[in-house]
Amino acid sequence: MAMKALDIYKLLPKTNCKKCGFPTCLAFAMKLASGKVDVDLCPDLDEQTRELLGGATRPPIRLVAIGAGERSFTVGEEFVLYRHERTFYHQPGLMMQVADTWPEERIEGVVARVRDETFHRVGEDLSVDGIAFRWESGDADRFGGVVGTVEACASVPEVIIADDPEAQAAALAHCGNFQPLIHAACADTAEAMCDLARKYGCALAVRAGDLEELKRLVGLCRDRGVENLMLDPAPATLRDFLARSVEIRRRAVERTDPDLGYPVVFDTVPLGLPDAATALGILKYAGVIIIDELGPASTMAALTLRQNIYTDPQKPIQVTPGLYPVNAPTGSAPVLMTVNFSLTYFTLLGYLEAAGIPCYLFIVDTEGMSVLTAVAGGKLTETLVADAIKTTELENRVDHRVLIIPGYAAPLSGKIEEETGWEVRVGPGDAAEIGEYLETGWEA
Amino acid sequence: MSEEHNPEPGNRILEVRLGATKAEGGTRERVYTVGGAGTFPFLGAGPAAGHPPRIALEICDDTRTWSPIVLREVGDLAEDTGAWAAAAETTFGADMVRLSFTSTRQRGFDDFASLGTTVEEVIGATKYPLIVEGSTEPAIDSEVYRRIGEAAEGERVLLGTAEADRYRSVAASALAYGHAVVAQTPIDINLAKQLNILLHETALPPERIVIDPYTGTLGYGFEYSYSVMERIRSVALQGDADLARPMISSAIDSLNVKEVREADPETADEVAIRWEFYAAFSALIAGAEIVCVRHPGTVALLREALRALLEGSHPQEEAYGDESA
Ligand code: SF4
Repeated sequence: MAMKALDIYKLLPKTNCKKCGFPTCLAFAMKLASGKVDVDLCPDLDEQTRELLGGATRPPIRLVAIGAGERSFTVGEEFVLYRHERTFYHQPGLMMQVADTWPEERIEGVVARVRDETFHRVGEDLSVDGIAFRWESGDADRFGGVVGTVEACASVPEVIIADDPEAQAAALAHCGNFQPLIHAACADTAEAMCDLARKYGCALAVRAGDLEELKRLVGLCRDRGVENLMLDPAPATLRDFLARSVEIRRRAVERTDPDLGYPVVFDTVPLGLPDAATALGILKYAGVIIIDELGPASTMAALTLRQNIYTDPQKPIQVTPGLYPVNAPTGSAPVLMTVNFSLTYFTLLGYLEAAGIPCYLFIVDTEGMSVLTAVAGGKLTETLVADAIKTTELENRVDHRVLIIPGYAAPLSGKIEEETGWEVRVGPGDAAEIGEYLETGWEA
Repeated sequence: MSEEHNPEPGNRILEVRLGATKAEGGTRERVYTVGGAGTFPFLGAGPAAGHPPRIALEICDDTRTWSPIVLREVGDLAEDTGAWAAAAETTFGADMVRLSFTSTRQRGFDDFASLGTTVEEVIGATKYPLIVEGSTEPAIDSEVYRRIGEAAEGERVLLGTAEADRYRSVAASALAYGHAVVAQTPIDINLAKQLNILLHETALPPERIVIDPYTGTLGYGFEYSYSVMERIRSVALQGDADLARPMISSAIDSLNVKEVREADPETADEVAIRWEFYAAFSALIAGAEIVCVRHPGTVALLREALRALLEGSHPQEEAYGDESA
């Protein structure tokens, strides 16, 4: 179980010697409790205390790095089951598979997509993270050859999927130095796989459908000196994956089962249902998701979902009040007032961009309340609007004095006119109708 | 970190029945119970698993603001609300139709008689339970909900939508004509709770309320909706009875976002379906009992996914939408 700062403090030397880099033992205890520092920073602990504190304060899920170079990524070091409890930190890597039995052009096609395709969304470039090579030919040399060819033209993180150590060795001979994930060891192959993982310093996935067996494999690998491990719960259905991944995460973050404190790999390909499986992996704790050749529409939706789920929920649900130009407006463009509730803003922005009509989005501060709630709760008032007109210097930005307000703010239209001296027009109550409204109804 | 992960044993999401058979005073050949679960979605088996979620296809009576991608896909059906509703069940495989009276959104709408006619037409054309969405304009709410409610009397439809400052007309109609109500609040767990309390004061029984915590579109605030659904389910299972209600989710703006609208015509259907699917599927995982989409292609994709999530947890008939009368 996780420990509280005071309980940790009781076990520290209480000398405030500062060798840990913190001014007092209590300060260090607080950092430890939040999982932000490693217990080893205090040199004055006996072995037993170090073990105890380490087990209780280290991130409950180990951080594992995949790949080398610019596009390498890390997964693990998560603390919660639900993002509203804190946040999720390390988004899963999406690894698109190629099989060594495929014709060259097909492999090249996937590799080129993974290497070059990016989508730009709200200030971020989104792309699939790497390639997963699947050994299907039964021929180790052929597998090695395919990995070698791809290696020569793309430097992206990789997963090597082969349950046979010889096939792994053939592939690793080409890419082992770039820290691919070795997938996957089972009871029979654990020794040989561990030797390969140690030789190249790679992370190793262990695979079993039963959590007790997974734990046994983890123990085996750790005994052979491999610490960078991932867990593949070998699901046969979406339901299996959900149940096993949730159970692994629960036991890890509750610290009841430290042997399950490793990130999860989800090989979605054998399950079919590529969209559902990919979405499920993103939502329910996968660290690496091996995906089939998703089409561009699926890829874009999956990457967007990942971006959403890995957004910090502490981030306020508000947008900054102010004047937002949409579609390059000039001084004669309409001014649309609305509230700073994020969803209202994003929804309206989506429609306005789609309609392609130049305008200003004039966002007033209702502390993140929707139009309805803000009007009903007296948060949206004529004074608020008048003040916002002043602070945004709206009068200097446009050469007219017409303000379009949301349909649900209609009860305020008279008062806003009086207070601001602007002519008020009542727009539609539904954002979907804004395009039509501007095209037909608006003249300054 | 404040909320426990483990549901209190014995706590359950309230069951809401939708649709009424002949014996019950309606005409539905199939009725549903939603809710009932005592665990997080798809983790339970037996009684704790609750009832399977349902997939609704949204249609409307005035297509002017409806997605052109969907209109292209359904073709002439869009001109005939009854036929569109029938196709939703038979051709597209939805569990239910959600009929949206978009005609009421026009400025100065006053053709109230048409609402009753359309409701009757859709009831005649369908066999499964229905969701009906009325106006969004408080000034005409009372007339709109009265007409809709009356025309569907006895069918136990799910009537939408009650909001914090305009719930009386919907609730009154539901009470008078025997329907259930969608209670929508803007992604806030406390507001959701408050609205349920307000509805309680109208004497609407709790087992006739479905919560809609509002679903933002994928890429446009969806994360808030996802988490508020997870939280509602979580505190409900901790014992908060005001929130232990089935949830409905509809990312209604999915087909209007830039990514979908600007997709080139060749791939527009693909993009539209994925945009709806990823949000609706995630809503199911977060705890929604009814998910609503507009593109017929999304229904099939969701159906397959739902089967794989329900595998083994429900009697075959019920899981696949055959709770026959
Ligand atoms: S090094 Fe250890 S004993 Fe010294 S101040 Fe830090 S915690 Fe306390």
